[in-house]
Amino acid sequence: MNRRDIELLSTYLDGELKESDSAKLEARLKTDAQLVSVLNDLRATRTLLRKLPSRKAPRNFTLTRKMVGQNPPLPRTYPIFRFATMVATLLFFFSFGINSFRSQMSSQAVGIGIGGGNESLVQEAPAAEEPAAPAPAEPAVEEPELYADSPATETPLDAFSSQPADAVPTEDATRMMETPASKDGEPENLIEEEQVQVEQEAPRVISSAWQIGLAIVALTSALLMGLMRQVSARRWK
Amino acid sequence: MDEQALITDAQGGNLDAFNTLILHYQDSVFNAALRIMGDSDLAADASQEAFISAFKSIGSFRGGSFKGWLMRIVTNACYDELRRRKRRPTTPLEPETEDGEEMDSPRWLADPNMTPAQQSEADELEHAIQHCINNLPLEFKTVVVMTDLQGMDYAEVASAVRVPLGTIKSRLARARLRLRECLQGFEELLPAPYRLEDGMNA
Repeated sequence: MNRRDIELLSTYLDGELKESDSAKLEARLKTDAQLVSVLNDLRATRTLLRKLPSRKAPRNFTLTRKMVGQNPPLPRTYPIFRFATMVATLLFFFSFGINSFRSQMSSQAVGIGIGGGNESLVQEAPAAEEPAAPAPAEPAVEEPELYADSPATETPLDAFSSQPADAVPTEDATRMMETPASKDGEPENLIEEEQVQVEQEAPRVISSAWQIGLAIVALTSALLMGLMRQVSARRWK
Repeated sequence: MDEQALITDAQGGNLDAFNTLILHYQDSVFNAALRIMGDSDLAADASQEAFISAFKSIGSFRGGSFKGWLMRIVTNACYDELRRRKRRPTTPLEPETEDGEEMDSPRWLADPNMTPAQQSEADELEHAIQHCINNLPLEFKTVVVMTDLQGMDYAEVASAVRVPLGTIKSRLARARLRLRECLQGFEELLPAPYRLEDGMNA
C-alpha cells in the first residue's frame, strides 16, 4: 500500500475524486481486499473524528468598541479647535523665544558699542585733550544702523547711541585722565550697569498682551476639546 | 440572518453587525481552536484574538466563504499562540508518573472531579482522539480540523489555508493515516463498529 493509494482512498471517501478515477478505484476495490480494509479503516477514523462532540463556546466573543480601538465620533468642529490649540501653543512659546532672542541681541550690541568706544577713548585720551570727542562717536553713530529696520528706533539703546557725540565720551575721557587709578574699574561698572539697564528696558517684539491672548486661545480651545470628547463619549455610550 | 448584508455593514465599521456574525460563528471558531490547541482556555483566547483580528481586517474580505475566511484567521491565531508557547515553554499539562515519565494514557485529560462511573467511554474516546490530534503536525491538524470536524469541503480548506487542492488531499490522507495509527493504541476505547482493521499494516 503506497501513499498514492491512501490519498486516492481518502479523497474517494470524501467524494472529491474525479468520476474517471473513482471508477478505476472501485474496480480495484472489487478485487483488492487490502484496499477495502484500508478504506474501511479510513472511514472509521473519519467517522470517529466527526463524532467528536461540538463544544459550546465558554463565553460570548462579541467585541466592544474599546477592544477594537473604536473611538466615539467627534463633532466636525473638533479638528478646528485642535488646530487652534496647536497653533496658539506654538506661537505662545515662539513669542517667548523671539523676545528672549531680541533681548540677547540688544545686550550684545550695547556691549560692542560701549566697549569699543571706551577702548579707543582710553588709547587716544592721553594724547589729545581737545579732539578726544570724535573718537567714541564712531561706534555711537553705527548703532542706529543695527536697528535700522526695526520699528523700535526710540529705544533706550537708540537714545543712548544718538546722544551728542561729545557728551559722554568727553566726560569719560576727562574722568580717566583725572583719576588714572580708576581707569580699569569705573568704566566697566558703568558699562555693566548700562547693559543691565538696556536688557531690562529691551523692547519686546511680541507684546505681553499678545502672549496672554495666545495663552487664552490655547487654553480655551483645549478645554473645549476636552468637553467635546466627554460629551461625545457620553452620547456614544 | 442575511450574512452578506451583515458583512457589508461590518465592513462599514458597524460593530453590532459584526457581533451578530460572531454570535453565529463563535461555536465553530471555538471548536476549531479547541481541537488545534487542545486546551479550552487557550482556545478561548485564540478565538477572541481571531475575532478582533477579523473585525480589523474585514475590509480585506472579498467574498467567498466567510466561514473559511474566519477559519483561516483563527488558525493563524492558534499558530501564533503555539509558536509563542514554543518560544517560552511552560510546564507540560501531562502529569508525570512516579518514575518521572509522562503518562502515556489519554486519561490525564479527564476531569478529576468526575467519578469513575461518569468517565464514560465517550469521554475517554474524545480524550483519546484529542490526544491523537495533538500529536499531529500543525499543518495536518489544521486540514483535519477543517475537513472532518468543521465539515468544510476541499476547495474551502484550500482557500482558507492558501495551499493547492492537491496538497490538501495529500495532507488529509496522511493525517488520517497517522490518526488511525495513533487510535490503534486506544483500541479498547473504540466502540465495536469503529474498531480499526489492520489493513494498512499488511
